[in-house]
Amino acid sequence: MFDDAKPWIQRDWKLVAAMLIPAIAVIALLLYMAGWILVMSFTDLALFGRKATEWSFVGFDNYERLFKRRGFLNSLWVTTVFTVFSAIIGQNILGFAMAAALRNTGRFTKSFVEGAVILGWILPDVVAAYVWSATFTENGLVDLAILQPFGIETRNFINDHPLFVVIVANVWKGAAWSYILYSAALDTVPSEVVEAARVDGATPLQRAWHITLPILRPHIATNCLFITISSFVYFPLIYALTGGGPGRKTQVLSIFVYQESFAVGKLGYGSAISVAMVLIVAFLSIFYVRLLKDPR
Amino acid sequence: MTDTRKSPTLALALALVALFWISPLSWVAFNAVDPLADGTLRWPQAFGLANFSKAVAGESGRQFLNSVYVALLTSTLTTVFAGLAAYPLSRVRIPGRNAILWALVLLRMLPATGIIVPIFFMAQSTGLLSLTGVALAITMINLPFTLLLLKNFFDTVPLELEEAAYSEGASLFRILWNVVLPMSRAGLSVVWFFSFINAWNEFLLPLIFVRKTADFPMSVGLFNSFGEHSSVDYGFLAAYSLVYALPAVAVYFLLRRNLSTGFAGVGVKG
Repeated sequence: MFDDAKPWIQRDWKLVAAMLIPAIAVIALLLYMAGWILVMSFTDLALFGRKATEWSFVGFDNYERLFKRRGFLNSLWVTTVFTVFSAIIGQNILGFAMAAALRNTGRFTKSFVEGAVILGWILPDVVAAYVWSATFTENGLVDLAILQPFGIETRNFINDHPLFVVIVANVWKGAAWSYILYSAALDTVPSEVVEAARVDGATPLQRAWHITLPILRPHIATNCLFITISSFVYFPLIYALTGGGPGRKTQVLSIFVYQESFAVGKLGYGSAISVAMVLIVAFLSIFYVRLLKDPR
Repeated sequence: MTDTRKSPTLALALALVALFWISPLSWVAFNAVDPLADGTLRWPQAFGLANFSKAVAGESGRQFLNSVYVALLTSTLTTVFAGLAAYPLSRVRIPGRNAILWALVLLRMLPATGIIVPIFFMAQSTGLLSLTGVALAITMINLPFTLLLLKNFFDTVPLELEEAAYSEGASLFRILWNVVLPMSRAGLSVVWFFSFINAWNEFLLPLIFVRKTADFPMSVGLFNSFGEHSSVDYGFLAAYSLVYALPAVAVYFLLRRNLSTGFAGVGVKG
């Protein structure tokens, strides 16, 4: 066993093999659950009632239902809008801008702004939901500090513009990740190259577009991959803030899975939604990994 | 070179950014220290710690301890399991190692919400619809990511020290305990921190697993209290939020230095 391993590992190979057991058991369990979801998505299993015990295979019925009923397509659209605006545009661009802007500012400014942004990231999701529901509620911070001074009619944003509220909350919650990653990435850009371009007369915008961004390409793709996926499957902040409502206005896919499975109790249908969600995430990952590869 | 003193636009932009992050929190802080808080935005009418004493007493105190239990159990199990398996995955060409690594990469992308139904069933059939079950489930979901992260980290730890210890006659256990473990402090603390924060924040699993309010962790406890819109005690909720947030913030600042070294490997290699 382990013939080409180092002698101290060969000598105690039984112990080394035992070290792997818990992790392999967990991996097997996760694979089993993924398979379970796939099989159950072809059944009419329910959480309660007669179908909880006497379920049967129904072919592709659940998958047909994804496209025939309004719920899934609506959730897919809401999730896409949420992800594009809060992650790819909001967190990504704001995180990059802050990382670039804070590189050359004073120590105090940097630690203060950085600390504030990271605080948002560290706060538990439900606390962030509470903070933002208080900020956007009728006569909350936004109404009193922004709308009223300009004579605009106050409103309950959570009822009137729920998707906007969860997007703002997610930018606030998640921008720190992009900021941290880009801060570290900007340190790897060799200053001689940027300096040489400056001497040759390149404007700041040209330097950013032709030098910094191409060098950071793999970092940008990795960051977009990470934040796209985590926003696409995000549950706690949105659920605690709006519960998916009003109506279905903020019912992202994760909330839709949760409600179909545990409130409505249609586990077969919920599994089909899960499978669709996993497939979309896999597709997005392949897309970004391709971007990550150098085109040359 | 830009500088806030030379560029007023940049200074203004940064001030707006800071305001955007700080102002929602200040509202909570004002309410928490004001025993007469009624949810409106105003300077505290009085100062006092009455809200905080309510937020740590009785059922709220229980919920705090529940969260501590889940977070500590999860972070300990995750760090131990990931650390144990990452060492052989990094050092030995085990038969099927590539298959394991590929399975980890794929499973890492599997969203937790995607497998919530089988997790619930498995917990139900094993009698684990409890806080312990929540911790085990989070450990399971975290493991692919943390294991890959630690494996990458171990790859960067040089073999020479282990060789030296071996030639001095150290056993495998001593090599792991006295050489590998101290060298991997940064990687292990990232994994510990990541799983602690994850478990401390976890909301969906306890929402499904736990029914009694005395068994709620703070995430569900807070959600449950502000869900009752009839008579909301804003001062209490604000204080409760701060008590809930504090350990996460404290853990972050305590481990901050270790994290920056450990996170360097997360970026591109991940």
